[in-house]
Amino acid sequence: MKQLIVIWDTLRLQMKNSFVRPMYRFCLIAAPIVQTILLYEMYKNSGQDNFTTYVMLGGGLMGLWSCICFSSAGDINRERSMGTLSLIFVTPANFSTIIFGKVLGNTVLSLGTLIISFLTAKIVYHAPIMVVSPGFLLLSIFAAVICFITISICLAYLLTLSRKTQLYMNCIEIPVILLCGFVFPVEILPVWVLPISYALSPTWAVKLIRLSVSGVDNRMEYFTILGILGCITMIYIVLSIFLCRTIEKQVRMKATLEVS
Amino acid sequence: MLRRFFSQAWLSFKGQQSAFSFEEILLFKVSYPLITLIFYCVLAGYSFRKSDLTHWVVGNSFLLCINTCIFSLGGTFTGERYFGRLRSIIVAPVHKISIILQKGFYPCIAAVLSVMLGFFMGSLIFGVDFTGINPGLFLLITIVAMFAATGFGMLLAVLGLITDEMNFILNLSSYVLMIFCGANFPVSQLPLAARLFSKVLPLTRSIEAANMLFDKIDSGRLTWLLIGEMGLGIVYCIIGTIIVKLVEKSAIKKAALEVF
Repeated sequence: MKQLIVIWDTLRLQMKNSFVRPMYRFCLIAAPIVQTILLYEMYKNSGQDNFTTYVMLGGGLMGLWSCICFSSAGDINRERSMGTLSLIFVTPANFSTIIFGKVLGNTVLSLGTLIISFLTAKIVYHAPIMVVSPGFLLLSIFAAVICFITISICLAYLLTLSRKTQLYMNCIEIPVILLCGFVFPVEILPVWVLPISYALSPTWAVKLIRLSVSGVDNRMEYFTILGILGCITMIYIVLSIFLCRTIEKQVRMKATLEVS
Repeated sequence: MLRRFFSQAWLSFKGQQSAFSFEEILLFKVSYPLITLIFYCVLAGYSFRKSDLTHWVVGNSFLLCINTCIFSLGGTFTGERYFGRLRSIIVAPVHKISIILQKGFYPCIAAVLSVMLGFFMGSLIFGVDFTGINPGLFLLITIVAMFAATGFGMLLAVLGLITDEMNFILNLSSYVLMIFCGANFPVSQLPLAARLFSKVLPLTRSIEAANMLFDKIDSGRLTWLLIGEMGLGIVYCIIGTIIVKLVEKSAIKKAALEVF
């Protein structure tokens, strides 16, 4: 129960803290609008029937990923520069619980990009939108949220090791959008790139969401993708636990928590 | 006088890069822009269902200058304020246009090099044939384009003297260029107001001129486009200088140079 209170309070505080940052507001509000416009203009003469799926989901997911890159991934570093990292590290509430609460807050708030992208396509272009399997879509979004939370936690721990977080945050944005097929199917990428794409959990989350929007005819296919997503997410969870323990040990031994 | 111009210009450029090691410069200034180029070209190939991606390689190669001209250069004055040098710059007995040009000189050269790299890598990856075009004319178009883009970057940089929302402005500007300058889809697709807006942005004319080299060259139109782009760059520098002067006056009156 205590842990839940810590998560809830951290989540609320994180949402407030994130929203006051201009860069986060850009990623949350402006980015999905301009990305949806760009994608719509690129897709509108494509002749594809379901192109709005790529436009809306693509714009929303790109915005969601930008929010994660420029917020969750850099949160530990942000705490460090504000001088509060050592405080949350030694607080009686578990450090990883606080990090989880922060990432959860960011991810939930960042889901707003999907709504903004949807509204932009609807209001600006009167784009036709039809979700064939809404129940599966809800399940897919839930799975995607868990997937993005785990990848964010891994990134947050990894970026703790460097003081050049801002540089790396910028460098991971587009490659993941490219490799995970946020705006086109990954199958059009060269064959040698596909193993990297398939090792990234957002690839499967995007597949699930797209399948739910276009309609789940083959339940077996849907649950197979969900299973793969679950397995990769588990690997990420194990990796983040390992990273957390290693980094905790390192900073205690070297006393480098605030200098990375 | 000339020697001081170049030494100050070099110092300013060096200052922007000094935080990074050589590997990080390679990652951020070379690899990341190339991945961005690849992303937009793959997206264009899928959405427009084209195998000849010449127009997109050309357009997105020009957009590679965004990193240098918008983000590095655009944050110049914000950086000066952060490092406490702004006061010295404003009270220095040097013409402000000289300061503006100093800060833009090397970034302009770096931008030309990154665009050239984009053309080279784009031609290798997407099989674009540059052999049939006039290299001198192509280089001229690139230099003129980068001059205008640098002027635009400087104008944005000056806004850093009057607002603290530079992250928002710079990111939004990069998307504005992606949408309105015709790199990813024809400007003719846009509504009239947006088409007129695209005329006051850098790169629109250069991208049209560069694309013309791959088709039939209309010498009159090409000259007109280059003159227009050059004029636009000059106008950006003049507006930038006027804003610096106005801010300077206001800052002296209010004693608020370093607090907006």
